[in-house]
Amino acid sequence: MQISNVDYIIALPCMILSVGALLLLMAEVFLKGKWSREFLSGVFVLIALVSTINFQEHYVEGGTAFSGVIFGDPFSFFVTVLILLGTLLTIFLGMNRMKDEGIESSSEYHSLLLMCSAGALIFATAAELVVLFLGLEIMSLALYCLCGSALRLRRSSESALKYFLLGSFSSAFLLYGIALVYGLTGSTKIGIVSEFLANSNSSVLLSVALGLMLVGFAFKISAVPFHFWAPDVYDGAPTPITAYMACVIKAAAVAAMLRGIWAMFDQDSLYQVWSGAVWLLAVLSMTLGNLAALRQRKFKRMLAYSSIAHVGYVLVAFLAPQFGGGAAIMYYLVSYTAMTLGAFAVLILVVGHKSTETDADDISKFNGLGWRNPMLGVLMTVFMFSLAGLPPGFAGLLGKFYLFNAAIQADYVGLVIIAVINSAISCYYYLRILVAMYFIEAKPGESNPVAIDLALATTVGVCALATIFVGLFPSYLHEMALWAVSGSGM
Amino acid sequence: MDGLINSLAAMPLISWVLALPLIGALSLYAIPKRGGEVNPDATRLVALLWSLIVFGLSLLFLVKFDSSNVGYQFTEKFSWIEEFGITYSVGIDGISLFLVMLTTFLMPIVVIASQSVDKKRRGYLANMLILETAMVGTLVALDAFLFYVFWELMLVPMYFLIGIWGGKRKIYATLKFVLYTVIGSLLMLVALIYVVWQHADQSGQVSFLISDLMTTNFSKDVEVWLFAAFAVAFAIKVPIFPFHTWLPDAHVEAPTGGSVVLAGVLLKMGLYGFIRLAYPLFPRGAEIFAPYIAVLAVIGVVYGALVAWAQSDIKKLVAYSSVSHLGYCVLGFVAFNAMSTTGSIYQMLNHGVSTGALFLLVGVLYDRRHTREISEYGGLTSQVPVFAFLFLVFTLSSIALPLTNGFIGEFLILTGSFQTFPILTIIALSGVVLGAVYMLTLYMKTMFGELNQEKNGDLQDCTHGELAALLPLLVLVFYMGIFPNGILKMIEPTVNSYIVAFNERRDKLDEAQFQAGESEEAEDPAEPDDAIRAELEPDAISVIAQAGSERGYADL
Repeated sequence: MQISNVDYIIALPCMILSVGALLLLMAEVFLKGKWSREFLSGVFVLIALVSTINFQEHYVEGGTAFSGVIFGDPFSFFVTVLILLGTLLTIFLGMNRMKDEGIESSSEYHSLLLMCSAGALIFATAAELVVLFLGLEIMSLALYCLCGSALRLRRSSESALKYFLLGSFSSAFLLYGIALVYGLTGSTKIGIVSEFLANSNSSVLLSVALGLMLVGFAFKISAVPFHFWAPDVYDGAPTPITAYMACVIKAAAVAAMLRGIWAMFDQDSLYQVWSGAVWLLAVLSMTLGNLAALRQRKFKRMLAYSSIAHVGYVLVAFLAPQFGGGAAIMYYLVSYTAMTLGAFAVLILVVGHKSTETDADDISKFNGLGWRNPMLGVLMTVFMFSLAGLPPGFAGLLGKFYLFNAAIQADYVGLVIIAVINSAISCYYYLRILVAMYFIEAKPGESNPVAIDLALATTVGVCALATIFVGLFPSYLHEMALWAVSGSGM
Repeated sequence: MDGLINSLAAMPLISWVLALPLIGALSLYAIPKRGGEVNPDATRLVALLWSLIVFGLSLLFLVKFDSSNVGYQFTEKFSWIEEFGITYSVGIDGISLFLVMLTTFLMPIVVIASQSVDKKRRGYLANMLILETAMVGTLVALDAFLFYVFWELMLVPMYFLIGIWGGKRKIYATLKFVLYTVIGSLLMLVALIYVVWQHADQSGQVSFLISDLMTTNFSKDVEVWLFAAFAVAFAIKVPIFPFHTWLPDAHVEAPTGGSVVLAGVLLKMGLYGFIRLAYPLFPRGAEIFAPYIAVLAVIGVVYGALVAWAQSDIKKLVAYSSVSHLGYCVLGFVAFNAMSTTGSIYQMLNHGVSTGALFLLVGVLYDRRHTREISEYGGLTSQVPVFAFLFLVFTLSSIALPLTNGFIGEFLILTGSFQTFPILTIIALSGVVLGAVYMLTLYMKTMFGELNQEKNGDLQDCTHGELAALLPLLVLVFYMGIFPNGILKMIEPTVNSYIVAFNERRDKLDEAQFQAGESEEAEDPAEPDDAIRAELEPDAISVIAQAGSERGYADL
């Protein structure tokens, strides 16, 4: 096997993260400073990010690395940047709050976080199914531990165990699907499988393989009815990790699913097979996610169900590969990441030092926030309107517009009508946060004083700026997404 | 002076009118604090200044408007989201001109009336100014997506206005208001995207400009569905019976200024949506639905009046009277002849003036006694003569007494719609009678007779501030009632050409469908031979022509 410089360049972000993860573990012995571990992990992610952007010209159409096991095309570039940015913001989210969240070993936490992101990168850019599975496992195993990183909190351990059990279950589905695909086509490379399938008739076994892989992906993106783990895991995990799962991991999983389903099973006859299933997943995810979110009293659980609903919206455009659905999905993932991370950052600020309490994230904690801290209130308003898809939250509004636009072109008008009705329902629970922030006065002792620290203020600010920019000038991001998706043969 | 006007009019006027309220809202937060508090009077003064500047600028629309030009004027156009052909495209025609004027005119009045807002006045005024931008934006948008964005943006400040400064059941009322509107408008968005792609398929160009979309062909079935999706969104906003249930809640819980804007401008947006989008885009859908909408409108007229009669809360009474009055406006518009449609637009302005004033008056009473129960008041004439006089004038305007503005509007609507829907119009006439009954009953109970409540013994008459808010409206009531021609003459040419354009588009759609049907037949191997087709053709054309004349639009 000939290994060229380009191979290393494509794999560079992943390698930097892995090296960083190992160094962080060793550095535990030497590092004594207060923020040193956070700082170090942040630096590694930043280096990975800079190197990715620096070497952008090497991400060309059809590009692969290491004899075709990793994609080095524009789509990989886009996803890599998204994952790295998300990871960086996640580090910022947890910077000052390790003790408050009950996390005892900061360097292990950060080491696992880098490892997890490295896995996510492999998962999202893999061009070969075994490598894809490897990435998934690296990502998931690190994530299970991260969920349980608040060692003395019972709900954190419960979250880790639950995620581990259901996660391994879902991995098995995916693996079984991969095995069948290999058996049918004699290859595990996405490109070769796709070519093979183009020249062969569909068989029952192929549909089974497709179905199994779809189930595996559906677990990872927490689409209904494979979502049961999500609310408990989101609720129990430390808040920065919840945010990380809701944004970064979800983005990686959706990207992998785009590769796994779109690029591999792109023939018309196969589209007929999976489109029906995805249609159903979309309807169920939107409807159940939104209806369940209506009933939540706790913010994290609410956002967990809301993220299930958002997956439903994404799946709507998943049905429209030829009509710009891919670019719409990528646009949506970026804007969703910005607004959700922002909302979680505000939550961490609001909860303050009491996050180990059981009802720390009760919605009543937001009571009167808009008047106690007007700036934070305005930013949270932007995030919530964005999630609801109402102006002035243009990021969410245009995100949904792009998604539904693609689906309507693909003639899924009925599905889009279901989606917009869901979108209207979702306004209720997002607006409820605003009700608490502005319309209800806080009773004495009900809410915590908000202590702004630099790291979280930066996170909220960056997310808000991103949300506003992406919303007011959508063309930049959307064109980049178009370039990413169309430059990768999807 | 002329030079000044000309140089001002050379600016991108509409954009300034849209931007200045936003700048004003931000400037409120730049007012320095003294002793940890912002001086509430200072904020009111600053907001008043901004709203007056905006009103002053919008007067230039009136001065510079060319009423012989039936197209859009003061247009501006910039690209926003290029790949979907979405533009920032704005302009004003004879239909939107006076609605824009009404909006910018009501805003200083609302700001003056904000003296009764005793908590967080700065936020209240900032929301009002943002609302002004959203409302004007909806009225001037020529791009359907821009319209949608402003349309949704109107919700946000209103949501806060009711939610923060509202009454006891404010949270229920404000959530109901938002959810109702959002469901409707999202369905409209789906239909809109569908139209855009139909248009793109036919013309090869993606565009959200309403004027471009108006060239799209649809089959009749599709058109009916699309019209229905738009109609639901707009019917909720008007509100047309049976979508009206959010309105009394929102009105009763809203603060006075919120009610004035809600009744004065926001409700008109529903009908404006019909005028600007639903009717021009889907003329055949509109024709099919028009009788049903007319029936609902008349039900609204009578039902609103009856329910208003039964109210014991003054504000609720005025709110239900809005349902009734907007029924007229809708009836006048769907009757769709030059007279009734002009009347409908005129009546929208009247309703903004007189109902806005009535809400202000209710607010005056509420500020003093903190109750709106009719039974709490009685024989106030002797105690508050100025208030009683103003209340009388606006009551008479609301029941459409000749010489007041309401008369002109209702007369035009009823005369016009009688030509299209004679029976419905006769039923709607009962609403006029009922309107007189409930408004005069209200006036009699609260104003005439002996002062029957000791608590009202020290009731203050209108203050200077309240008079400053009410007198401009009083002047308008008489001006619009005695000299309606000035305004009507500017509306009418646009309405006439609007109706002509509507009929042209309908005929074009019919023709296109007829041809499409023909070409399908031509491809069909089992087609009837030419002789038979030649026999069929004239028949089909005459059927269509006959249908057109039966509708009674052709001879306008």
